[in-house]
Amino acid sequence: MKVRVDPERCQGHTLCWMTAPKSFQLDEVDGHSSAVSEDVPADQEEDVREAAHSCPERAIQIF
Amino acid sequence: MSEANGNDDRKKHRVHFDRHTPEYRHEFEEITHELQAKCPIAWTDTHGGHWVASGNREVFELARSAEFLSNDHDVKGERRGYKGITIPTPPRAAEAQGGFLEMDPPAQRHYRQALNPYLSPAAVARWVPFVDEVVRACLDEKIEEGRIDFVDDLANIVPAVLTLAMMGIPLKDWTVYNEPAHASVYTPPDSPDMPRVAELSRNMGISLYMALQEIRRSPRPGLIDALVRAEIDGENPPDEELVGVLALLIGGGFDTTTALTAHALEWLSQNPTERDRLSRERSTLLDSATEEFLRFYAPAPGDGRTISADCEIAGQRFEEGERLWLSWAMANRDPSVFPDPDRVDLARKGNRHSSFGLGIHRCIGSNVARTVFKRMVTAVLDRMPDYRCDAEGTVHYETIGIIQGMRHLPATFTPGERLGPSLDETLQTLQRACDEQRLAEPVVRTARADTAR
Repeated sequence: MKVRVDPERCQGHTLCWMTAPKSFQLDEVDGHSSAVSEDVPADQEEDVREAAHSCPERAIQIF
Repeated sequence: MSEANGNDDRKKHRVHFDRHTPEYRHEFEEITHELQAKCPIAWTDTHGGHWVASGNREVFELARSAEFLSNDHDVKGERRGYKGITIPTPPRAAEAQGGFLEMDPPAQRHYRQALNPYLSPAAVARWVPFVDEVVRACLDEKIEEGRIDFVDDLANIVPAVLTLAMMGIPLKDWTVYNEPAHASVYTPPDSPDMPRVAELSRNMGISLYMALQEIRRSPRPGLIDALVRAEIDGENPPDEELVGVLALLIGGGFDTTTALTAHALEWLSQNPTERDRLSRERSTLLDSATEEFLRFYAPAPGDGRTISADCEIAGQRFEEGERLWLSWAMANRDPSVFPDPDRVDLARKGNRHSSFGLGIHRCIGSNVARTVFKRMVTAVLDRMPDYRCDAEGTVHYETIGIIQGMRHLPATFTPGERLGPSLDETLQTLQRACDEQRLAEPVVRTARADTAR
């Protein structure tokens, strides 16, 4: 499973980071999110799916 | 709600919708679900005529269509005369642009870029010890009495003091800004108290202007310093525009977090089993509970927009110049996205609520709001675990047209012991910390984060 945050859609709501703190990191200056790694470790898949489902901007792509 | 006949085919879904009436607050759930089932985008003739978006999908698609929507409040009639985010345009606000929330890119983006380093999660995390100390002092003032008004004695004070600290305004001045920030929202335009409230608001504007001048003369860190140094469209904006930005920061920072905290504390008093569960399981439940209170009580229930070009969005045709109300609060109750939407579920998953707005205008203070809310609520759970709100003395805002707020929320609890100095003394100590440690400096991106991107 791979994950990506669309930087054009992310507005810095931070819900992904609250849901899956190991898989998403927030920019220190604007709080926008990016994936820690495009490849999602097996034990993080459920949290990452939940994070994608929680994103108000629907900015998280799982592929 | 009655459907009326209209001769414009685009406006075939006509309703009578007036969110400024007490009925809208009392019948919010019925009105919301009727709109969502019949016409998630409807036309209403109230307040000069405007569209109302209540469905989650519709609000989402509209809010993200920045190319067809404008937030511009063209106060001086220099552009297209658009009226900003408030429907109807209130008389006194018509004189001033509401900061960057009533601007479009690129100026709006430039402002946010200037202020983000003060308001990001990393920036806000630095303020937690400060917030905890203000909360401690507020609770200490009442802990021996066994009585508190959660609005007057806690939820009004903490967001106000923190907002001023972040701006670079002396903490003791919170009382200057507190009453106008709340009263200008909850006082109906026809109230006999309105002239006094308008005077308070004018005085607040003058105080903000003076704070701006003072920080220009003798710089100290904070949001105001960022603004006086900001380049917006290549130049530093006039003071009049900056005062509008400062008023936006006050309005966004004060009344909204107060409203959220008061509603959550009231609900937890009415649901003591859930309150005990939240306290016990806070390490796993506090984040989801916070988002759920945000979804359910949406402090800022919606925003206005102006259609900036003829377009079709979510199956509805719009014409340039038409006004539109995006209801974050109603979108949050759409059963197609939120199962059992009218129930508070502290562990709710997939809670993609829109209480901080959606798209480029997402509340810039959302990280401040969450932090202050969580520190206030957990401190109450720790120090007043058996509190009971007094329904007789509770005063909600009469309408939720602008903010879903509360004026008073008295409660009783088993008295406890003070833990530290008084609020006045605490604010003096914290003021020295702000000055000496320059707490309101912006964050700087570290090398690690640069390489990570």
